[in-house]
Amino acid sequence: MDTKGYEVIIGLEVHCELNTKSKIYCSCRSSFGAEVNSQCCPICMGMPGTLPTLNEKVVDYAVKMGYALNCSINPVSKQDRKNYFYPDLPKAYQISQFDIPLCEHGYLDILVDGKEKRIGITRIHIEEDAGKLIHDESFAGTLVDFNRCGVPLIEIVSEPDLRSSAEAKAYLDTIRETVIYLGISDGKMQEGSIRCDINVSVHKPGEPFGTRVEMKNNNTFSGAVRAIEYEAARQIEVLENGGTISQETRRWDDLKNCNFLLRSKEDAQDYRYFPEPDLATILLDEDHLKELKDSIPELPNKKTVRFMRELGLPEEDARQLVESVEKAAYFEEIVAAGKGQIVPKDAANWVLGGISRVINETGKSIAEIGVSAGDLAELIQMLEKKEISSSAGNTVFEELLKATGKHPKEIVAEKGLAQVSDSGVLQQIVDQVVAANEKSVNDYRGGKTNALGFLVGQCMKASKGKGNPAIMREMLLKILNG
Amino acid sequence: MELYRLTAAELSRMMQKKEVSSVEVTRSVFDRIAKKEPEIEAYITLNEENALKKAAEVDEKRAKGESLSSLAGIPVGIKDNICVKGLPTTCASKMLANFVPPYNATVIEKLNASDCVYTGKLNMDEFAMGSSTETSFFKKTKNPFDTSRVPGGSSGGSAAAVASGEAIVALGSDTGGSIRQPASFCGVVGLKPTYGSVSRFGLVAFASSLDQIGPFGRSVEDVAMLYSAICGKDSYDTTTVRREYPRFEEKLTGQVSGLKIGIPDVYFGQGVSNEVREKVMEAAHRYEQMGATLVPVTLPNTDYALAAYYIIACAEASSNLARFDGVKYGYRTSNYSNLEEMYENTRSEGFGDEVKRRIMLGTYVLSSGYYDAYYKKAKFTQKLMQGMFHEAFQKADVILCPTAPDTAFTFGANSDDQVKMYMNDILTVTVNITGLPAISFPCGFDGKGLPIGCQLIGDKFSEQQLLSTAFAYEKAAGGFDLSRTLD
Amino acid sequence: MEMDIKRLAKLAKLKFTPEEEEKYAAQMANIVAMVEKLPDLDASGPLIDPDNPMEFRHDEVEKKYSRDELLANAPEVQAGCVVVPKTVAE
Repeated sequence: MDTKGYEVIIGLEVHCELNTKSKIYCSCRSSFGAEVNSQCCPICMGMPGTLPTLNEKVVDYAVKMGYALNCSINPVSKQDRKNYFYPDLPKAYQISQFDIPLCEHGYLDILVDGKEKRIGITRIHIEEDAGKLIHDESFAGTLVDFNRCGVPLIEIVSEPDLRSSAEAKAYLDTIRETVIYLGISDGKMQEGSIRCDINVSVHKPGEPFGTRVEMKNNNTFSGAVRAIEYEAARQIEVLENGGTISQETRRWDDLKNCNFLLRSKEDAQDYRYFPEPDLATILLDEDHLKELKDSIPELPNKKTVRFMRELGLPEEDARQLVESVEKAAYFEEIVAAGKGQIVPKDAANWVLGGISRVINETGKSIAEIGVSAGDLAELIQMLEKKEISSSAGNTVFEELLKATGKHPKEIVAEKGLAQVSDSGVLQQIVDQVVAANEKSVNDYRGGKTNALGFLVGQCMKASKGKGNPAIMREMLLKILNG
Repeated sequence: MELYRLTAAELSRMMQKKEVSSVEVTRSVFDRIAKKEPEIEAYITLNEENALKKAAEVDEKRAKGESLSSLAGIPVGIKDNICVKGLPTTCASKMLANFVPPYNATVIEKLNASDCVYTGKLNMDEFAMGSSTETSFFKKTKNPFDTSRVPGGSSGGSAAAVASGEAIVALGSDTGGSIRQPASFCGVVGLKPTYGSVSRFGLVAFASSLDQIGPFGRSVEDVAMLYSAICGKDSYDTTTVRREYPRFEEKLTGQVSGLKIGIPDVYFGQGVSNEVREKVMEAAHRYEQMGATLVPVTLPNTDYALAAYYIIACAEASSNLARFDGVKYGYRTSNYSNLEEMYENTRSEGFGDEVKRRIMLGTYVLSSGYYDAYYKKAKFTQKLMQGMFHEAFQKADVILCPTAPDTAFTFGANSDDQVKMYMNDILTVTVNITGLPAISFPCGFDGKGLPIGCQLIGDKFSEQQLLSTAFAYEKAAGGFDLSRTLD
Repeated sequence: MEMDIKRLAKLAKLKFTPEEEEKYAAQMANIVAMVEKLPDLDASGPLIDPDNPMEFRHDEVEKKYSRDELLANAPEVQAGCVVVPKTVAE
């Protein structure tokens, strides 16, 4: 977009549903898509006298995310009440964290156009989700489904370090990949597992930041990109026309591709935060924190960069592999099995090619497909050494998929797929082909050079596909030009 | 002897010896209710049919030789802010007039395990906000000693029922004196346990960080028995404390020899009537005669305590009572055309004046710009007070003072002056603010024949000491005189 | 201390008639004067109590209540849901 010399400043508040079995403050099942009001109890419905109890997994997951995002973890923290009335909030307050979040002062490195950029993470805190309001014309009122009440959320608040919708998209993608890698969320956008509020302001470089506007209801990453571009353009237009930006909250409408005013600063809610008296202090001991820290795997953003820098993969290949924990791990296993004898890019091609095709066609996982990394490495090595032709390679791969337990070398031997490079054998074949195809030979010599291709094909056919085409081509040229 | 006049301990021993049955005891209590209730009005809901059924079950279990708890078959009254599955739990409010919880409070689960019989749900100040039970939406409970006077509050129904024989023992809740002050006004024993020793799950919250459920009885032993049955760590309440809780009724030594009893001057000072001061000091001297020593202790300024109490309690209440919005349960106005009106009219019509005043105060002290000056400062004052008590307990084993500045007042006496009404709590709120346990027991009567309560405050989890000390007085005094209210 | 009764009422979702507002303003002024009697102390640190840690709940699912039981107290129910006046989607 044309920013007319303005710089766009973006900060994101990402809400991510955690995939614990039970809810954050009660033992109800925490899952998506159940029949209305079938996954609630007196606690998550806020009935009088009921009390919350904190799910230990929620704390663990939030801390893991904190470590993944390089935060410092507050070993002593607490929860607070955020008070407001709405029908989807049964207690009329949300239990959240106010001044002492579980995690704060972190950062996340994102990859934009092949370059790494560090985005500050202000804080990560835990809180409960609200219920769902159902607006349906067939009812006179709004219906309330409390199933989602108490589904655990982490809120990840970034510093205003993002400068474009592309950076915001990369940030969101990285957050999503990270939670999936950590196994703390399923990261499913369509089920609302990840949602974000966006803060946007614009200013001329060198001048102080402009007034920020908060945008709610951003339920897809692509929608978030459109929302940012729309809002930045709106603000620039207002400023260019001599207007001023007021601090307000706007609601993004992805269908209409525009946003509208939700509330102005004057209507800002007074949430009357205070420490949640029903929950005692969250105290995390050092050993447990260390355990959580040690459980953090290499994260997707770091893995992508390593695949590019150390294994020489193009960015797109690295990204595609890293998107799937399984593919990335499989790729690394193949490279390891190749013991430095195979080109990683070839391994990536097989994982993103043949293997991915089978995954898409069958819906199986890599483990279910059952081609061992060692076998694939062996196959890749044979191809690289031109011991077999690429078509023979495909045949071997199809055999491996049958999971007969046979290794590539056995298959090649059994099926006689080894490529022949013995010049004596090949010369014999070439001589026979030249003798049998007098017309084509004359055509070539008469200037129809494409007859060469036909003759190479005939040689391959005569060698039953096993002859090394490059050598036979050389031999043909020698005779034809001789 | 009418069975309703006896204590739980006496009835328990008789039932164990099969001298009486639980059905007989329960019938006696319900006969007494039939006779006294029109005058006292202690109950909001009576549970006669279920109670007799449960009593028969207990008798059957006993007949089969099953081993039963000491409270098995004892008729217990329950304050109407404690959820009993299937019985209305109204909090004496129009807001919850038709609310029937589908769950039991943890204390009820525990009493069920002890095979208790529930007489019914007892009247109280609306949402436990008051010191006279006058703010109840339903009725005004009378003081059994003088029906022109209040029973105290907020657990006025519990105290009046126990004093008049309409229950053998009862549960109440104490946020700022709501067990001790009515116990004092009605001449019975009431224990406010250490914060965190009794689960609050199922107690409709007034002020979460101050509320505690506790027992009422006509003897210290009864209070000890009921307390033993309800205390303990509860996985449904994270604020409960995991520790060993003994059977307190078995630890009543009645020995006070060598005990250091702290006397805080400031709690005998301004506002405390002469008669109250004299009788409570008499109790102190009686302890001295039994071998205890009286030592002066310094306690926090009562003004600070009252201010911190009202700020914290109302702040929490404003949030706790926000859930009563006409959406999920309870009252909903019939007068609305949109969501905002539904909220405002439901809450304005459903809550009484005192509740609204406290919600307003709580909203104010938490609102933007005032939080630091009020709520946060009150919380730091709370810490300061905890520190002062900690120091006092280096010098004294227990602290003795009056429970209330005066004896039971007449209806309407304080209804126009909230601050005067709030001053009733001046001697009880520090205990809630500091989370400490305290017991109130009768130590005589004033010139009008109204009971006076003596309060013993202990260090955290010193219930055994408090009960034993109160028991010593009871023994020395030859029991508590409730002949006038039980006749 | 001047109190904005209207704003507080709005926050607390309460509604008062003008007469009530006047009455409340007077009463609240007295009460606020009472609660202002706090000691002069430093209240700048965070409100947290490290000596009082909590035991967490294990992540296990338990189902004890039917929808009918849970909605039995609701003023208005349709299609298994509580019904409220139409809201504007937020």
